[in-house]
Formats: sequence, structure tokens, C-alpha cells
Amino acid sequence: MAFYADKDYTEDQAVLDAMNAVMQGNLTLHWFNAHTEKIRVQPKDQRRGLTYEDLDLGSYGYSSIPEFVRDEQSMVARGSEKAGKLPDMGYLVNRKSDVWSHNVTALYEESKARRWVPAVDVPWTELDARPLAAELETACSQMYTFAQECALVAMDFPSRWVALINQEFIELKSFMCAQMLDDARLLEAFRKRALYGGAGLGRASVSAEQGLKEWLWADSYPQGSLCINLILGGFTLAVYRQVAAFAPSHADRTIMRYAMQDAARHVSYGTGALRYHLEHQPDQRLALRAYLESAEHVMLALLGSPELIEPLIIICGGGIEHSQLKAGCAAVVKFLRLVAREYLERLSYAGLDRSGSPLARILSEITPQR
Amino acid sequence: MAVKFPSIDYFNALKDQMAADQARFRRLGFIDTTFGIGVAHNGASRNFVLAFEVFELKNVHEVAELDLANLDFAIEGDLAVWREMIENIKRSGEADTAHDLNTLAHFGEALKISYADPEGHDKLYRFMESIQEFFDLSSRVEVAF
Amino acid sequence: MSYLSTNNFFEDRAFLDKWLYTIRTGELDLSWMKSSTEKVKPHAENPRRGLVYRDISLGSYGVEAIPEKVRSNRCYAPRGAEIPPGMPDAQPWVSRKSELWAHNTDGYYEEAVTRQWNATTDIPWNHLEGAELPEATGKALAQLMTFLTEVEMIATDTPAMWLPRLNPDFIEVKAFIAAQAMDEARHTEVFRKRALTTGYGLMQASPMNEMALKHLRDADSFSEMSVALHLVAEGNVLTLFRFSEYLSPTDVDKKIFRLVMQDEARHVGYGMQHFKWVLEHYPQKREILHSHLDEAENISFAGGAATELTEAFIILAGGGLKPENIAQGVRVTTAFQLKQMQEHFERLDKCGMPERKSIDRSKLFAMFEMGKAAAAEAGIKF
Repeated sequence: MAFYADKDYTEDQAVLDAMNAVMQGNLTLHWFNAHTEKIRVQPKDQRRGLTYEDLDLGSYGYSSIPEFVRDEQSMVARGSEKAGKLPDMGYLVNRKSDVWSHNVTALYEESKARRWVPAVDVPWTELDARPLAAELETACSQMYTFAQECALVAMDFPSRWVALINQEFIELKSFMCAQMLDDARLLEAFRKRALYGGAGLGRASVSAEQGLKEWLWADSYPQGSLCINLILGGFTLAVYRQVAAFAPSHADRTIMRYAMQDAARHVSYGTGALRYHLEHQPDQRLALRAYLESAEHVMLALLGSPELIEPLIIICGGGIEHSQLKAGCAAVVKFLRLVAREYLERLSYAGLDRSGSPLARILSEITPQR
Repeated sequence: MAVKFPSIDYFNALKDQMAADQARFRRLGFIDTTFGIGVAHNGASRNFVLAFEVFELKNVHEVAELDLANLDFAIEGDLAVWREMIENIKRSGEADTAHDLNTLAHFGEALKISYADPEGHDKLYRFMESIQEFFDLSSRVEVAF
Repeated sequence: MSYLSTNNFFEDRAFLDKWLYTIRTGELDLSWMKSSTEKVKPHAENPRRGLVYRDISLGSYGVEAIPEKVRSNRCYAPRGAEIPPGMPDAQPWVSRKSELWAHNTDGYYEEAVTRQWNATTDIPWNHLEGAELPEATGKALAQLMTFLTEVEMIATDTPAMWLPRLNPDFIEVKAFIAAQAMDEARHTEVFRKRALTTGYGLMQASPMNEMALKHLRDADSFSEMSVALHLVAEGNVLTLFRFSEYLSPTDVDKKIFRLVMQDEARHVGYGMQHFKWVLEHYPQKREILHSHLDEAENISFAGGAATELTEAFIILAGGGLKPENIAQGVRVTTAFQLKQMQEHFERLDKCGMPERKSIDRSKLFAMFEMGKAAAAEAGIKF
């Protein structure tokens, strides 16, 4: 698969002659009058700085990217003048409505502005001052082990696709890079927390990982984004909110509050991207519905994973005494209903109706024993 | 002098505190959301719209009813719940786990989150840290009920 | 081509029944509580630095514990977790430590996370209001920025492609690569923004550089990619950023180049440490590294031969198009190009490959020697 430059430049006489001529002061200036649009951008809102939205002008703007990008397979920056023999970078995703979302530039700016640093922004030493009971700490470690698995997969998704997506979609690719760092940071925070309490890491989840691999390896970017950004993102957002609501320590609450911010951005992109996709490719509604018929079971693999659900029950109940487990189960039932409701809402908003799906049916039938 | 909750004065007092603590809110990042706060008491409700932009609360005004079509989301609850939250913030300097917005609103039992579309709903979580720290500024304000 | 999990969980009655039973009764299995993983108790060595990866690098969780060949983990389990039977294979392409390891990778990642800056708000764009550059300087700057925004995304795409191919046990490397992807996206962004604030828009693409950089993207191995990208290409770009900062026509440009060079130095640091690691631990790979460098240095030379970039640099360095400006520009650009090559060979020497400084070993070195001689003759110091 290796690519070698089309020549050995150190031995190409034409190249050497051209170089020497320039370094003798004989400039060609072939670029000086480049046939590109002459504009000068400035911030619309000084408080916000110079955003990508401010650059959405003329031939440089993302608004002018056509639906089908046909004649741009190199790295040439959108709006610049093509010259000479340019390589084919092998982009496989060249259709705007396969990747775009109306909110992607805003989400990119937000991700940069709303960064956090797990090393210093989490009050780690509070866990020393007020350590958790052993079973509760072990439950936390297990939950954070599971959360690391989700973060590892979520980090792999944008990185699998970014180099295959046309360079014209620079803002979208930038957001994908922000996603990678978001997930690296979540992985970092979850790993640190899992280990800090002294319980060690827990057990990886067979059901979750089997399911996550299925989603990660989706055939197309729209399918993958639906699963990883919208569905997995929505699921992890709900988990983070749940753990934050029942957080056994200030450190856990802090971690989960930051985590939910990052996850919510990914969900917002996923929802927006699906909506944009179906607005411009309405035929895909049937295809994605059919895809979800086969892929939706992974939600059950995640929700049903004992490596998640059992520690979550313990965390929500505060321990493993009978009354605590009962309370924990009641809280987890509400969590499951919340997950189901929001899953259906997001899909419906984006243009996919899954109200009759097996998942919806199963989750609606769950009640704790009285 | 104490500001009454709920009232425009209360939210403006928090707005002033937020402006005074710009370094902290800048560090947290852009906050771009408009949401409603509903406080119910004795069968009636007072409703406020808070418009955040960039790093500040740009505008707050009182409305007769919360129109979800023009809001990202609304957080509604009984005065007793809001009071308990604010008193907890006053005691502890910030809301504890049992009294923060995420916990109170999580299952829609103490506080209820309403929204016209999920994208608006998700903004609550995108800006959660900033929104919570905004309410935590109540610790610096004398509040009467 | 998509993967299907071993179960359809909607049809797995046993799985469903167990789950429903758990939730309804609160009778938990709790077998995960008895996981056979190591119990460690980390603490923050330096409270001002907070809890860093190095603090949790203990026992079986630590980087020292990663063997040369990772045999035990091919799924998405975080390093040190208990791995039960039935896990999927993540199909990693790289499960050998020597293929990607570098001393201080965790340090570079932590530094990246704390030193993230924002191209939108951390650059004083308002200082450009009313600031008009003369046409030659303005166009030259726009051309330099066009080149930089064009090539930075390769530095994102290339490592990002490898991220999912790396065994999940190499958490710190994956994290570093994710941070690098974000760094480079930020560079693409800031250079595009600066080009579009000049009033001249973007200028012309650089085909010779694109052709050469495709080699990075399509490298055969992570190590080959890292040598070409982190060590050689980014090493060259680091020198370019330093000279650009020196030549910057406005304080805004100075700030841009100061910030990007911080990021670039981290990437080069990783590249050097990886190169050093391989040479120290796997001396039998020396010749392979030489062959990686043969093509990487070809790319390096292409950068210098791309006239749209060199001419823009000359104009910026000389301050215009008059013969005396161009003469000065050529002197400075000559010094810059020689400095680039000198620093490249210095890095290799420092990493343990002094023999690369030989005209028999490296065509680029031969060019460097010729260039030095010509510069000495012209009275150009560098």
C-alpha cells in the first residue's frame, strides 16, 4: 500500500535547476496572482473571537460546499488555486449529506472553548479524605472500567473515518479531531478514577464489546455515526447523568459533569447529522430503519451488561444491603426508561420512527418487583 | 440587601456575580443557550427566560408562560424545591450532589425538564457546568423567599 | 463487510432473562467483584501537577508492564482489566511495543491536554483591524499560510488513521495521537483564518509537497509513518515555525507561530523518543530506519524545492520585491534551509544515528554539505 513520491527530488535535474534559479534571486512568482477570491474576514462578535462561521464567505465558506464533491481528491485547501499534478488522497466519503450537520462548526468551537483537564480539574484528594466503603468503591471501579471500554470505541470511530473523508469538509474533520481528544480525555479521567480508589480495574464486558465492535465497524459513515454518536453517545450521556445524580463523591460528580458536556456535544452532532442526512437523502430512511432492525440489539448488549448494570445498581443504592439494592434497582429502572424515551425522541426528531421497535417494547415492560 | 426568589432581581444579582467572575466562566467556555425557569407556588407559576451568550447572561425577563418553541429547554419545579436548592448552596458554597440541577431534574421528579426538541434538551448537558456554577453564585447573594 | 456480534441480544433469552431478573429482584451476580486484577493505590506525586498518567503507571497497569508483544489483549479492554472469554478481536495492526513506544509519551499527552489553546479566542485578531501589509508581503504571507493550512491536515489524517489500528493496551500512545490530531486541526484552522484575514484570500496549492506528503499518509507501518511525520516533516516544520516567528510582519503572526511551535515541539519530541527507543532496544532495526529516512528525506527536500513556498519565504524574509529585498531574502532563506537540515541531522545524531551524517548514507546530507559550502562562499552564516 506504500506510496512513493513520483520522483527522487534530489536527483531530478529540472527540480534542482528550478531551485537554484530561485535561490539565485530569479523568482518565478507563478503563485503571486493566484486566481482566488480576495476577501478579508473579521470577527462578527469580538467576544467570541474569529470563528469558522466568520469564514463562511464566498468560495471559502462551508455553505458553498456542493452536495457531491467530485473534483477535489487532493489536500488542496478549500478555495485555494489548484496547480500542477496533485495526488489522489483516496477519499471515500465525498457527499456532504453523509457527514454534515448544521451545528458542526458551532460544536467544534464549543469543544475548544469547553475543554477541561482531568489531572487538575477533578478534586482527587477528596477521595483520600473521604474514602468510599469497599463495595461501593469496587462498584465504581467496575463502572469506570466499562466506561473506559465505551470511550476507547468512541475514540476509534472518528479516527477510522477522518482520513477517508474529503478535505473539503474541513470543519467537520476538525470536529472529529475534537471528538478524538474528548474521548481520550474521558478515557484518561475514567482510568484515573478507577485506579485511584484502590480497587483496581474491573472486568471487561463481553456483551458490550461484541456489540460495540458491531457498531464501530459499520459499513458506512452515516450508519456508524448513527450508532456511535447518536445511540452510544446518548446512552453514555444518560449513564454520566445517572452517576452524577447518585455520585458517591465530589470527584465522581465532577468527572461526570464534565463528561456529560463532552458526550452531549457528540450526541448533538449525531442527531444533527442524521437529520441533515435524511433531509437530503430521504430514501435512506428505509435503509437506516432496516439497518437498525439488525443493529439496535447492541443497546441491549450495553444495558444488559452485568458489568454496567450491577455496579450502577450499587452506586444508585449506595451499597449492597438489601434495602440499598432495592433502591438502586428502582433508580436503574427509571434510568432505563429515560434511556428508551430519549433514544426514541432523538431518532424521531432526526426523522426515524422506532416507536415499535423490540428495544422500545422490552424497556417499556421493565418494572422493579415491589 | 436581600433579593427575593423568584424575581428578576435575583437573576440579575447572579448576572452581576457572573460578570465579576468572568475569568472562571471564560475558563469553562462558551455558553450559548436560552432557557426557561418556572417556579410554581400555590397553583400559580412565575416564569423567567434566561438568555446566555458567549460568557455571560445577556438578558433575563419574566414571562406569563414559557414558550418551548423559543427556548432550548425549561426547568420547572415547586418553590419548595428551588428554595431547598438555594439554601443548600448558601450553606455549602455550592450545591451538593442531592441538590444540584442534574440530580433534581434527572428523573423529572423534583424539577422537570421540558423541551420542544432533543437538540435543545442536550444543551442543558452541553453547558451543565456553567449553568450549575451560575446557580452556585447564589452563595454570594442574600436571598429571601 | 461489517462485523456482526456473536449474539443477537434480542434473541438471547438467557441474557434477557438474567437481566430482567437482576433488575426486578436486586439479586446481583457480583462475579465481577471478584475480578483477579491488581489492587494499587496511586497518589499524585506533585499536587500542583495533579493526578497524571505517570502516577497511575503502577504494577500491571503501568507502561513498564507492557511487553514487547502484546498477546493477551486484542479487544477493547483497558490495560489491566480482567478479560473474560468471548471478547471480540479489535483487529489491531500494531501490537508490538517497539513499533510505537517512546519514553515520556504520557508526559507529552498530559502537556498537550493542559496546553490546548484556542485559535478562535487566543489570537488577538482585532489587532489586524486596519493593519494593511504591502502587497508583496501580504501575498507572501497569504501564500505561506495557504501552504501551512494545506499540509497540516495531513498531520491530522495520518496519525488519526493509525489510532484505531493500535492495540488498546497502548493507551498513552493512543491518547497522544488523539491530542496530536486536535493540535493539527487547530493549526489547519489558525493558518486558514490568518490567510483569510490578509485580504488576499488563499493562494496556490503546493503540488510537490502534496505528492511527497502522500507518502506519510500511506506509510507501511506506524514506525515508518512516525519517522516521516514526527521526526522529519515536523522537525522541518518546527524550524519553519521558528523562522516564521522571527520574520512575522505583525504581532498577531508572532503569536500564531509561538503557539504552533509549542505543539510542534511536542510532536517532534515524541518522534525523537520513539526513534531513540527503537535504536536502543532493537539495534537490528537500524537499517530499516535508514530506509524509512531515505524516502522521508526525499519529502524534506521536496519542501525546499517547492518554489511557491520558497519564493514566499524569500519575499517575507527580504521584505519586498526589489532586488535588494530579494537578495536579503535569499540570504535569510538559505540560512533557514541549512538550519532545517542541520537540525534534522542533529536530531538523528542525538537519537543515536550519527552515521546518517554522511554523503554516502544520505542524499540530503550531500545536499546539506553542498549548501554549506555555497553559503560559506557567499558569506552566509546560519
